[in-house]
Amino acid sequence: MSELTPYLSPFLSGLAYSMLLFLVAAGLSVIFGLMNVANLAHGTFYMIGGYIGYSVVRYTGNFWLGLLVAPVVVAAIGLALEMATLRPLYKRGHLLQVLLTFGFVFIGLDLVKWIWGSDVHSIDPPAILAWSVEIAGQGFPVYRLFLIGFGLLMAIGLWFLLERSSVGAIVRSGVSDKEMAQGLGINIPAVFSCTFGLGAGLAAAGGVLAAPVLGLFPGIDFDILIVTLVVVVVGGMGTFRGCFWGSLLIGQLDTFGKVFFPRFSLFLIYLAMAVILVIKPSGLFGVEEQ
Amino acid sequence: MNSSVTQSPAMAGRYIVLALIAALALVPFLAPKYMVNLLTEILIFGLLAASLDLVLGYTGLASLGHAAFFGAGAYTVGILAVKGHCTSVLAAVPAALLVSMVLALIVGFFSLRTSGIYFLMITLAFGQMLFALVHKWTELSGGSDGCSLGKRPIIQLLSPYLTVDFSDYRHFYLVVLVTVLLAFVALRGVVKLPLGQVAVGIRENELRVRFMGFNTFAYKLAMFVISGCFAGLAGILYMYFNAFISPEELSWVMSGKVLVMVILGGVGTVYGSVLGAGTLLLMENWLSSYTERWLLILGSIFVFFVLFAPEGLVGVFRGAAARWGRK
Amino acid sequence: MLRPKLMRIMVAVITVMVAGLVAVSIASAADKPPLKIGILVPYSKVFAVLGESITYGAELFFDQVGWQAGGRKIELIKEDTEANPATGLRKARKLVDQDKVDATLGVVSTAVLYAIRDYMHDAKSILMVATAGGVDLSRSKRSPYIFRAAYSNWQLNYPMGKWYAENVGKKVFLLGSDYAAGREHLDSFKESFLKAGGEILGEALPPLGNNDFGPYLSKITEAKAPGVFCFFAGSDAVRFVKQFVEYGLKGKVVLAGAGFMLEEDVLPAQGEAALGGISSLNYAYTLDNPENKAFKEAYIAKFKQEPNLYSVYGYDSARALVEAINKINGKTEDKEQFIKALEGVKFASPRGPFSFDPVSHHVINNVYVRKVEQVEGKLHNVVIHNFGPIVDRSE
Repeated sequence: MSELTPYLSPFLSGLAYSMLLFLVAAGLSVIFGLMNVANLAHGTFYMIGGYIGYSVVRYTGNFWLGLLVAPVVVAAIGLALEMATLRPLYKRGHLLQVLLTFGFVFIGLDLVKWIWGSDVHSIDPPAILAWSVEIAGQGFPVYRLFLIGFGLLMAIGLWFLLERSSVGAIVRSGVSDKEMAQGLGINIPAVFSCTFGLGAGLAAAGGVLAAPVLGLFPGIDFDILIVTLVVVVVGGMGTFRGCFWGSLLIGQLDTFGKVFFPRFSLFLIYLAMAVILVIKPSGLFGVEEQ
Repeated sequence: MNSSVTQSPAMAGRYIVLALIAALALVPFLAPKYMVNLLTEILIFGLLAASLDLVLGYTGLASLGHAAFFGAGAYTVGILAVKGHCTSVLAAVPAALLVSMVLALIVGFFSLRTSGIYFLMITLAFGQMLFALVHKWTELSGGSDGCSLGKRPIIQLLSPYLTVDFSDYRHFYLVVLVTVLLAFVALRGVVKLPLGQVAVGIRENELRVRFMGFNTFAYKLAMFVISGCFAGLAGILYMYFNAFISPEELSWVMSGKVLVMVILGGVGTVYGSVLGAGTLLLMENWLSSYTERWLLILGSIFVFFVLFAPEGLVGVFRGAAARWGRK
Repeated sequence: MLRPKLMRIMVAVITVMVAGLVAVSIASAADKPPLKIGILVPYSKVFAVLGESITYGAELFFDQVGWQAGGRKIELIKEDTEANPATGLRKARKLVDQDKVDATLGVVSTAVLYAIRDYMHDAKSILMVATAGGVDLSRSKRSPYIFRAAYSNWQLNYPMGKWYAENVGKKVFLLGSDYAAGREHLDSFKESFLKAGGEILGEALPPLGNNDFGPYLSKITEAKAPGVFCFFAGSDAVRFVKQFVEYGLKGKVVLAGAGFMLEEDVLPAQGEAALGGISSLNYAYTLDNPENKAFKEAYIAKFKQEPNLYSVYGYDSARALVEAINKINGKTEDKEQFIKALEGVKFASPRGPFSFDPVSHHVINNVYVRKVEQVEGKLHNVVIHNFGPIVDRSE
């Protein structure tokens, strides 16, 4: 067992990080895959969610309340933005979406700085989770274990929603064949809007959950965006399995890479993405485009 | 059709361009140092944006890693000077262009198998890899502290009659103006060549072009390498301009800015890139000098553009032209 | 392509624009009596708090002298570098070429500093560095026109190495953000630590902006290190210190590092996790001298928030400039005299005695070892040792 101990802590840390990535990537994957929208503001939803959670926790002292309120608020914002600005752009290609969402990124960044300041803020994990457990001779924060558990639960829940429910069936039909689904009488624009809102809400939840680990400051939006983009592309856009396994792969690669190959730490996940894209351009579980 | 009406718009366009060039050439003798330097920077970024437009507007490929070729050009000049102790322009320029083109060849070879969002992402990945390389390899590149050029070159042309001193802002502005104008002529030439025409065809409908018997991969790769060459040229000019380059200039944020410049100016117009570059640089510069909320304003301008002027600045002019013409 | 009427309009518009640009620049280039001081710091992105604090500190001092120096009225021109070298250089050009500032204060990022160094030197424009700590500025990149009122990465950590070996332990594990500054901090500590007979059990360099320190913390446990010496700043410092506790190292391993890891700007976010942490810096919030007391009171009264290290740097930078300008009666065009006057600046700062090394133009000030303790219900750094004035090694 002792030969494994140097690997146990990074593995668990990597797993916790993977679950955080999964939450944020799930929303992005659906938005990219289902709606074929280049949304660069996904990290902004994550960031704003984290900050709203921070404020709620500060004024009520209740972490769970923050975790509940932030995603709802951000989902509403996402929904509104989608209906007002993105919808007219679906037919117009990615470039305008890039410019538009870039604009949102800048606006979000400045608003956050204006309202909450540029300091690094932090949310304390809820009291019942704020202790450490001894694993393989070293302490390991229970909050991270909670993240792993919560992430897996969310994964199962989302899988159920997407693969086993009628709502999921509608969403999936939209991914495979928009026109056909519309022909069957499904209100695709409404489905899109709700999906966008859901994606934004998931990212916000990720922001709140990540705050005790990663902190909050203007700039975390860029950081998380780039990594989740890698996850989504590696896993395959619009596929649930891709998102899940992509998160695991990238999370572990990033964590182990930093510890065992420090000279290549910045490099590794991009190398992985490039390699996978060269071998299978649509990602690990992605569907080949015709 | 009235022949004078069809002839005069084309002639008018030519006169406008000549007038603009003349105005730009006069700038260093009329405008203060700060303005000249700002224009120099706009021209350099205009070239970079135009190089991206070659693959974006004319071949239909959105790349989020173009800063890599820009940075490669700049860093080659820097590394040659600092590590190779070679400051000769005759050596540095071809070397830097070669490096950018080879890089574009490698990146293009692997990326061009994909398209759309996947192409966007894989170019992003390559860009980030180069960024990481430059950031970490401190012994070669200076790492996060960047690479200083030291002395800027002085060239003797038709010596001893004409000395061009790169550290003189007026001389350098003219060097950049001439280089960028020549580059634009070359870019327009590429577009008009059969190569460019096929590329446009690929943008419209790649499958059809392939059925016509063209090796679309080879054409896309060729355009990508040419684009990388011009991006590298912009990088070379930039290094001589600032005498400094840092990994930031290779980051995806920089690539994103260039993409925004192209979109702002109008995708698929070579001169629109300069407009877009100028607009973004000037806006960023002026706004951040006057208010702390400049990010908010800049972002709002982007949103405004997308909602009300999606064809870019060139589109705005063309739209105005159409409306005036209808009188 | 374009109708003749529109063509005429376009030509007119462009002509007006160009004429306007030229006119504006000519107008602003006219000579004006006020003393223009540029503040070149990041106001956005990661280092925004530092830029803000430096500005507040400078403004406080200018307030206290009635916004006058050398008989001229002080005018501040603030520019945002975004901690980006290219932007910093562009803004430096604006300050020097367009605004024609008499002096510039600021610069947080060392990359920005190196980007503008040659330009400021060639333009013979006085720059007072208010944070960026890259050691080369005091050595190979020295310039007669550039002074540093803040610190250098070497200056803060070199004395600490020996002290650590003698007072904490002879074995240490080093950690720092993997970029130029991080390595400079650790190397400076290493230099004197090894000379004092210390042993380095291991070294780890997480990437800048790293999120998960767990794997690195387990390396510390594996190496059975009794203590660590680190360089982390900003969000990295917050995450590292918090995770240091979460992973159970607190109490078993001594937490020490360069001051930025445990400074007042990150203490609130770190909370109790930072208690007992030791660090080296040329300032401490609780320093017991009359200047610091007065400074804190005035700062809190004006800005309704507590000052931090960077506020002090901004304050001292402003003071150095003003005292020099007073000495030369406001004749800032005479650069030789301006430089001489700056070299002779000497005063009591909230951080202790302040003066410049005439060779490197780098500040000579005390360096302290501090410990984080509860002071009147808040977490602050308390001085536990004073190294006295440290000169950055000028070669």
